[in-house]
Amino acid sequence: MIPIRINRLNGAPLAFALFVAMYIAYALHMPSALSLFSITNLFNNTVVLALAAVGLTFVILIKEMDLSPVGVIAVTNVLVATQSGSTPYGALLCFLLCCLIGLGIGLINGVLVAYLRLQSLACTLSTMIICQGVALIILPAPGGEVAEFISYQLTDLIGGVFPVSAAILVLVAALWLFLRRTSFGIGLYAVGTDEVAAHYSGIKVNRIRLGAFALAGIFYGLAGYMLSAQIGSGDPRVSSSFLLYVFAAVAIGGTSLSGGRGGIIGSLAGAGILTIMQKMLFSLGVSDFYTNIFNGVIMVLAILLGNSTALLNKWREHRENFASSSYLRGREKQAGSKQAEATQ
Amino acid sequence: MFICGSDNAPENQNRDGDDESWLAMNAAPSIKIEHLSKRYGATVALDDVSFSLQPGEVCGLLGENGAGKSTLVKVLSGVVKPDQGVVWLGDSPYVVKDCQTAKAHGVATAYQELSLIPTLSVAINLFLPNPETNAWGMISSRRVEQMAAEVLNEFGVGDISPSALVEDLSLGLRQRVEIVRAMLSKPRLLLLDEPTAALSDREWLFNLIDQFVLGGASIIYISHKLDEVQRVCQHCVILRNGRKALEARVKDLSSNQVFSSMAGRSVVEFFPEKATSVRKAEQDVLRLDHLSCEGLQDVSFSIKPGEILGIAALEGQGQSSLFKALVGLMPLKDGQIIINGRPRTISSPRSARQAGLVLVPEERKTEGIFPDLTTRANISLPEIDKLSAAWLVQMNKEKEWVQEKAVKVDLGSEYIPLPITSLSGGNQQKALLARSLLTDPMCLLLFDPTRGVDVITKQTIYKIIREFVQGGKAVLFYSTELDELVHLCDRCLVLYQNAVVAEVPRGQLSQQKLLSLATGQLSNRTQDGQVAENKV
Amino acid sequence: MKATPAKQRIAAPPAVFTREITAATIVLAAAVALILIMKLIFPSFGSLAQIAAILVTSIFLVVASCGQGLTILLGGIDLSIGVVMSIAGMMIAGLTNGSNDNLPWAVPLVLACCTGIGVLNGVGIALLKIPPLLMTLAMGTTFFGVALGATSGSLQQRVAPALQEVMSSHLAGIPVPVILMAAFVVVVIVGQQRTAMGRKLYALGSNQTAARIAGLPIVGLTIGAYAISALCAAISGLLLAGYSASATLDMGDPYLMPTIAAVVIGGARVTGGRGIYWGTFAGAIFLSTVSTIITALSLSQGWRNIIQGGIIISALIITFIQSKLSSSGN
Repeated sequence: MIPIRINRLNGAPLAFALFVAMYIAYALHMPSALSLFSITNLFNNTVVLALAAVGLTFVILIKEMDLSPVGVIAVTNVLVATQSGSTPYGALLCFLLCCLIGLGIGLINGVLVAYLRLQSLACTLSTMIICQGVALIILPAPGGEVAEFISYQLTDLIGGVFPVSAAILVLVAALWLFLRRTSFGIGLYAVGTDEVAAHYSGIKVNRIRLGAFALAGIFYGLAGYMLSAQIGSGDPRVSSSFLLYVFAAVAIGGTSLSGGRGGIIGSLAGAGILTIMQKMLFSLGVSDFYTNIFNGVIMVLAILLGNSTALLNKWREHRENFASSSYLRGREKQAGSKQAEATQ
Repeated sequence: MFICGSDNAPENQNRDGDDESWLAMNAAPSIKIEHLSKRYGATVALDDVSFSLQPGEVCGLLGENGAGKSTLVKVLSGVVKPDQGVVWLGDSPYVVKDCQTAKAHGVATAYQELSLIPTLSVAINLFLPNPETNAWGMISSRRVEQMAAEVLNEFGVGDISPSALVEDLSLGLRQRVEIVRAMLSKPRLLLLDEPTAALSDREWLFNLIDQFVLGGASIIYISHKLDEVQRVCQHCVILRNGRKALEARVKDLSSNQVFSSMAGRSVVEFFPEKATSVRKAEQDVLRLDHLSCEGLQDVSFSIKPGEILGIAALEGQGQSSLFKALVGLMPLKDGQIIINGRPRTISSPRSARQAGLVLVPEERKTEGIFPDLTTRANISLPEIDKLSAAWLVQMNKEKEWVQEKAVKVDLGSEYIPLPITSLSGGNQQKALLARSLLTDPMCLLLFDPTRGVDVITKQTIYKIIREFVQGGKAVLFYSTELDELVHLCDRCLVLYQNAVVAEVPRGQLSQQKLLSLATGQLSNRTQDGQVAENKV
Repeated sequence: MKATPAKQRIAAPPAVFTREITAATIVLAAAVALILIMKLIFPSFGSLAQIAAILVTSIFLVVASCGQGLTILLGGIDLSIGVVMSIAGMMIAGLTNGSNDNLPWAVPLVLACCTGIGVLNGVGIALLKIPPLLMTLAMGTTFFGVALGATSGSLQQRVAPALQEVMSSHLAGIPVPVILMAAFVVVVIVGQQRTAMGRKLYALGSNQTAARIAGLPIVGLTIGAYAISALCAAISGLLLAGYSASATLDMGDPYLMPTIAAVVIGGARVTGGRGIYWGTFAGAIFLSTVSTIITALSLSQGWRNIIQGGIIISALIITFIQSKLSSSGN
């Protein structure tokens, strides 16, 4: 019998293997990639996408859509750029503010989708547009300035050895390993796999939905905070390319778009893969112009890859089901025919 | 408390004999259901249903599809709220908001459609929604699996590994887990909805039931298998069209009484004249040669022009796969489909239609009707291209064609311009039949066409089937009502465990015979060998 | 089911589309109401010229939303409309280069290329089973990149004069675009409600499983819907290029979200199966009116977005309330 762990992680081990392979390829091409500076850079470049992908994973797991990551990131980014100032507590306040805004927007999405049962695509599309509007009002054009503490410290190292971004991602991964084993985590998978069975089993489906959107929102807020750290200023414009990247990261990481399978770990790997790919293309001298084409094609390939992992699993299940059930059917049939004789 | 492997072993107890004296000691009924009613829009699912159960009693709930059994289960399980009526558990009224409250009140259900989460392990499923957590709120797999192993052993299914994912288990094992889970919470009222649908070893369940009721809890046992009801139930309630048609002690009832209460013997009198229109000398309209696909093993048969061939089978014995394969919804592993002498490759319902095979599907709500269109648009859809000229649909021609078919199926013309969702189930089914007749098929494939349909409409459907075959066409007719098969078909095949186990000619058709064959008791084949081993 | 043999009571509205038509007309009335309110507050607002301008500028949204309506009818969505509009505009400007000479072959070529993008969308969605949101977003981004690479993003100034003429001339006092729009609306309504393909699209959007069993060509219909969507976007892009007398690579972007908004406001069901073009048209007119008012009030782009998003959410919630009321009325 197959143990729980491997199946649950699904495409994640594959994604990680791919990530490591690509990193090795990249390092071979550019030996300087192995320096602490480069590694820090890599984590810094990945962290925003990773956090957004983590948030989106919660929603995709319950078989819903969420277009709001880019909206929340825009709002939180411009807020940090305009409000962080240079007071020493500005950084902390902004951090809390980002989380709260993300949570707030997530809750709004959650209530509309879970309790009013509005379609998640249309609903989160509208909240994204509204968020973009709010961002434009706060900061009509790219500018503003992010407090030095944020932009310097958060892109730097802890104790001179460990990149802050990496630490954040490790914390997120640890949080997931905890969350996955709670009733809520189990509930996410249950609702995404079979809503009716989950309901019959006593799981509070609406609460799980609300929780997933709320949690997603918090992570989007965090992503916006880290974006401020990366670029040091505010940009109210919402990038559809980035939205595509977030979905691609989730899909590559093995989280199925039809819900119930996958997890955060895979999405982290997926974000890493996409970032390295970008770096590789850049170092190979591929023109900026072509990144758009690259984004689009990668998205399609990522989903196809994700679909094929699901198909592969189904095929594997079918074969094993076939084998085990025929053996057991044989046993049951023996018992059954004895019973049939007895009742005649 | 759950008694396990003690002196109260089943063989030491004569349930029937000691029934009266034992129950007399506990005269107050433990479960009382009073005037339960539920409607969904225009459909009445439950109409003033009342009955009660004694402690320790197993009550059978019988009825055809659409009779109200599943609605009753849903009401008792807390999935839906009744419009009217009260349920009493002991002395307190039972008001549920959701499934978890139901469990807290002591009502547990083993659902027909299985409420397990396939991607989670058996252990976790057993303890949903709140498996035991440690101080941090985390679930320890090892601990949960340990507890699950104990439970599985206790219930006699120790061979199921607690860490196995439910999706990796066969349907039979899943059903066992579902039943174990329901019994685990030691409920006062246990609802078993078609619990043996996938089980081959039913004794396991019967033993569990015998032991379960010793603690004073009651069971409502929903099944359409008479022999089981007779084996485990003391008391039985039969629903028909949402109402209680009959309530009696099991030992007082004969099979015939049960059948007539479920389907209404009066229907027999309304069956059309059993004239035969089979043209034996002509070429087969449809022939299957060693057809195999997922869920179907080496099936061969043929249908002559003018013939109505029936299929009798319990749930999940391959009939679904057969019909799907005939219209290209299920890829073939082996075998051929030959229509009017020509072998045809049927890759989709579209090509099936072109070959002359049209399916009227099982679930009209999800597979048949287009809920946002009018009845007319629903009926005319397959031929909409033929009804158009210069890209535009010719409304008058459409009206004409649809009206012609509507007359054939006795569908009143006032219903045709209406949205199809405002029609009753029976009228919707007639509309779907009209649609299938529109393309003038060679062979109609009807999958349980009278499910959830009122008596008068059933008669109309029988008439339609008879009239259809008059002109040398054929019908393949699957029904869960044996009565229909006996009175309408020229011949009847019985499917059991994904293969044809018998062919019953007209003269030998009887409900008893079909039932025995369908439950695998009598067989034209030997017990263990012929029916193929490797089935999914 | 009841055992009574009596005929069932007929308790339904007389025609399927009555509710939608009423809803759409209400939306149009709302647009008119908005203009009147504005006129009360700002008496100079709402002159005939201004209203003509609203109608003329609404043609882009009206045409583009038609395609979006079809994809949403199937339960999908098309996020590549903005990019396709821009590509059409850039292509026609680049090919005609300020003269009318190439127009006869340039227009069909542009339309064909853009329809090709729609076909790709349809193939990915119907055959590769990629969710419409992601497929169209991916195609949009990809072809944006292609166009960027081909033109280096520069502003194209030289659109064929004939196109500009069409967009600015009058016929019997009515602006030509308004006449074209009226013709377009008639053609689309007839096409969607009265053709065999339209009927099949409604069926497919209503119940995909039943459509398969009834033998509908699902792949063909899906590709067709997305192809038409791209075609409409292309036509809209051509008109926009003619109107602006120039083309940029992001000229279609401001129209994407409003197409979705127009369809939703028009009463279509976002999960597919319900919605008529009259509703989408009403939604487009309403949004154009709102857009003009926003400009007149000198509100910033940010407010424009907030209002747009708010409108979509309100439309969704109103539809939700409507369905709750009608189901409890049974």
